[in-house]
Amino acid sequence: MSVRHLSLPLAVRPARRDRLRFLLTLFGVAVGVATITAIALANGSVLASFSASVDAVAGKASYTVSSDAGSLPEETLNRLAWLRGIGGAAVPAILDTALTKDTGDVVEVLGIDPLSEALVREHAVSQSKEVRRAGAADLSRLAQLLEPGTLVVTEPFARAHGLAVGSELGLVAGARDHVLRVVAVVASRGAAESSAGSIVFTDLANAQELFGKKGRLDRIDIVLPEGLSTESRTRLEEEIRTSLPEGASVGRPSRRTETVERLVRSFRVNLTALGLIALLVGAFFVYNTLLVSVLRRRTDIGTVRALGASARAVFGVFLLEGALLGVLGSALGLGLGILLAKAALFAIGGTATQLYVPTASPRLFLSPVTLALSFGTGVVASILSALAPALEAARVAPASSMRTGSLETAKRSSAPRFALLALGLFAAAAVAARQEPLAGLPVFGFLAVFCVVAGAGLLAPLAVTVAGRLPQRPLARLFGPEALIAQASLQGSLSRTSVAVAALTLALSMMVGVAVMVGSFRGTVVRWVSDTLRADLFVSPAGGKSGASFGRLPDEAIALVAGVPGIAHVDPYLAISALRNGAPFTIGSGRFEVLAANGTLPFLDGRPAKDVLLAARAGGEAVVSEPYAVKFGVTTGDLVELPSPKGPQRLRIAGVYSDYSNDRGTVSIDRDLFQSLYGLTGASSLAIWLAPGTDPDLARMRVLAAAKGRFALRVHTNVNLRKEVLRIFDQTFAVTWALEGVAIAVALLGVFHTLLALVLERRREIGLLRVLGTSVEGVKKAIRYEAAALGILGSLLGLATGAALAHLLIHVINKQSFGWTIATEWPAGFLAAAFTGVLLATLLAAERPATVAARTDPARALKEE
Amino acid sequence: MGANVAVEGVSRGYGAGASRVVALEDVSFTLAPGSFTALLGPSGCGKSTLLHLLGALDRPDAGRVLVAGRDLARFSPGEEDLYRRRTVATVFQFFNLLPTMNALENVRLPLLLDGASVAKADARAKEALLEVGLEGRERSFPYELSGGQMQRVAIARALSGSPELLLADEPTGNLDSKTGGQVLELVARLHRERGLTVVMATHAAEAAAVATSVLRLRDGRLEPRAS
Repeated sequence: MSVRHLSLPLAVRPARRDRLRFLLTLFGVAVGVATITAIALANGSVLASFSASVDAVAGKASYTVSSDAGSLPEETLNRLAWLRGIGGAAVPAILDTALTKDTGDVVEVLGIDPLSEALVREHAVSQSKEVRRAGAADLSRLAQLLEPGTLVVTEPFARAHGLAVGSELGLVAGARDHVLRVVAVVASRGAAESSAGSIVFTDLANAQELFGKKGRLDRIDIVLPEGLSTESRTRLEEEIRTSLPEGASVGRPSRRTETVERLVRSFRVNLTALGLIALLVGAFFVYNTLLVSVLRRRTDIGTVRALGASARAVFGVFLLEGALLGVLGSALGLGLGILLAKAALFAIGGTATQLYVPTASPRLFLSPVTLALSFGTGVVASILSALAPALEAARVAPASSMRTGSLETAKRSSAPRFALLALGLFAAAAVAARQEPLAGLPVFGFLAVFCVVAGAGLLAPLAVTVAGRLPQRPLARLFGPEALIAQASLQGSLSRTSVAVAALTLALSMMVGVAVMVGSFRGTVVRWVSDTLRADLFVSPAGGKSGASFGRLPDEAIALVAGVPGIAHVDPYLAISALRNGAPFTIGSGRFEVLAANGTLPFLDGRPAKDVLLAARAGGEAVVSEPYAVKFGVTTGDLVELPSPKGPQRLRIAGVYSDYSNDRGTVSIDRDLFQSLYGLTGASSLAIWLAPGTDPDLARMRVLAAAKGRFALRVHTNVNLRKEVLRIFDQTFAVTWALEGVAIAVALLGVFHTLLALVLERRREIGLLRVLGTSVEGVKKAIRYEAAALGILGSLLGLATGAALAHLLIHVINKQSFGWTIATEWPAGFLAAAFTGVLLATLLAAERPATVAARTDPARALKEE
Repeated sequence: MGANVAVEGVSRGYGAGASRVVALEDVSFTLAPGSFTALLGPSGCGKSTLLHLLGALDRPDAGRVLVAGRDLARFSPGEEDLYRRRTVATVFQFFNLLPTMNALENVRLPLLLDGASVAKADARAKEALLEVGLEGRERSFPYELSGGQMQRVAIARALSGSPELLLADEPTGNLDSKTGGQVLELVARLHRERGLTVVMATHAAEAAAVATSVLRLRDGRLEPRAS
């Protein structure tokens, strides 16, 4: 008898009869797959959109020259003039970000050299009716067209802002307002496709003026002659490298995407790991459903075995059923995931752009690889979950008369063995937690999490068995005989009840773990903010809709602010991005003497900030943030190498301070040293201390009034900035909470699923209870007690496991991913609420099964044999 | 003491229209308290339907079923539950033990449902198991018992609460003849010792022989009475 012949009686027909249970299982798998699909698609789209922008801007360039720290001196271009002699070209550009004055939207500004632009990027005049009607510009005369104060816009940008040739566009760049005239509208092709069309082009000199980058370049795109061999290209790349000044490097344009990929990698990996939890809960569903099927169909399986079906064929039927559930559930999950990704893209995109790359909203990119991987993961997880039930089915002897009860006893006797295995897994977790990260990722940390979660799941049968042995007299006295019915049923259906407990444990433990981690992180950040944000006012360039602030305040703005009555001290903070071994970090600078006198910086070794900062200023030393120290494995006394136009600078590290503002890592040096190394002026932000007795709100109004019409500033009072920091913090973790919610919902669905399965399976027993005089209310009560027991066991195990996970998340995964030290805090209120919430939710999940049970007609139920 | 039973012009059918099946038609009889009556007839003749009506698991379409003078159809749901706990007890062909409970737990369940303490119920259940000859098997689960032993547990359960009416639905139908004979003997002994009213449905004339009176059912109708 083949799998094909057996599928109908053993799988298809029973599934049709049990539609609700199978639909719930499909849904469980679908939710898991949808979650990982949505996360992968949303993250992939952010990166794909960034990568597409990078490619669009790079055009025909084979290589891009950029600075390892800040920008390039203009004379770099002269050093590459030899390229023209071999038929190549070096095309300079400024690429920075501005805000539109009317809507506050972020827009990329590409400053181009009109004479050489055509060598690297193509631009074509828009063929839209409006543009043609207004009279198209001649792009072949780009140099004449791009006069000072003019720009070229893309078709979508023109549409969004109601622009045409001749219109004026207000831009805020470097905290200053600028008005530029549109001289051409280009089609969405080539560079115009960058940032979903949120890009404008202007003359190089114009852009240098806009962003305060006179004599500087952001990049030089290198075009090599066509038809070169790989060897020649490598040789040329080497020649270019030797032509470059100190602090500049050459690489493929995709290098920028790789840098961003590295930036968001930890963030993405952590989210995906959370998504996998939802899938794991879905896999529990498949296991549970198939196991129930096998248990119910033991007699049928025994009969077909007696009729000559091989054990292998029976195994095949149930494995196929698991695979089918996986295929259907995953297909449904992909659809759901795409919808979810569309919705989540804004949230995740928002978080990523807020934290890492300010850019326009990314478009959803349906990567076939991502879709295939998510689908495959769902199917494989389902097949793996089906293995154990399929083996169980294959072991059924021909014409088996073995009853479910004896099987449950066998399971009960294996509970201690499972518990022992759990202990082994916990020990393995303890060992894994002590390992170093692999390639900067907390691989062993995740392994430890897996061991703890799997171990907790294996403890579930023991927990149920222990609950089944609770003294009956007090139970009956407190809750009535229905409690004893529930107790017997709980233990009598161990294979199902323990799976429900395990699923609940898993979901709740992740929720508790993440809640404790986020709560502790928040508490740590609140303390850190109150320790470090001591200044009265904080000034930065206006950030528009993006929330993040970018660009630089010019020196005039600093002077203007410093001159406002009531302002005592100003500490200008200026930072640039830099690379170390391909990994991005920040070089920051401030007036150490002002910070030493007025503010504070919490150093990890507890030394007073004043001593460390003054010594660092005097000795030309640097202080580094904790994420930098962890990421690059350095500590106080070590040397840190900073790329600079004057060549690599090796500075001694005077101290390591806590910093939760970013995970890239920051090397901070005194402003004088910074300016001598990088020749940059202005500031990314200003910390301001007021004269005693000055009202911060009044001072804020004065600063804004003084800047009005000259600089676009954002001024926060201390109180406001603290609130803003926490707002961004909470927004960052919003996605995490959503995922936790999904996992909990799926687990509760599991409880519902288990109880309903038990009720349907025990119709006859319920009928018998009614014959013995159990009232309708009594039957409902027994089901509710059983649900409560599942809820309590799942919650207790979940809370204990969650505590272990919190420890791993805080001290291993977070530390290795981001380098932050977090002080653990136990949110007692939240934990109590989670416990109560899960308990109430399980009771709610029991209502429908309880009603189904109560409706059982005893006479009919007893007739069914 | 047993209850008196009066079945007056009872009819019961299932389904509607052309597919309607009449299970009982105008059945009337009375049973004296402490009597042991066998309902004899082939399968499908309406024996189980009649037992369900006597057990208040079902209601007649026409006529009345009175046990100890009370019309079962007039019971509120609460009274129905109470009736099943205190007045009537049932033994089934397929034993119908709760597989998740051991023998003692199965037997004491009706007592607990009726408000007895665990200690009292345990003591009473042990007595009942002793009475049916199952001492020492209190902790055994149904799957660990033979068919005869399971039926004894079911009988112990039925009698643990001192009911006035015992309904037995083919109690030997799933047992070999020797074990079946032992079970019948047990039922007869308990009937003698306790004086409760027993109604036993069976298709086997030899089983019906242990009863003090026999009611023959054929196609839902009662045949003339014989002793």
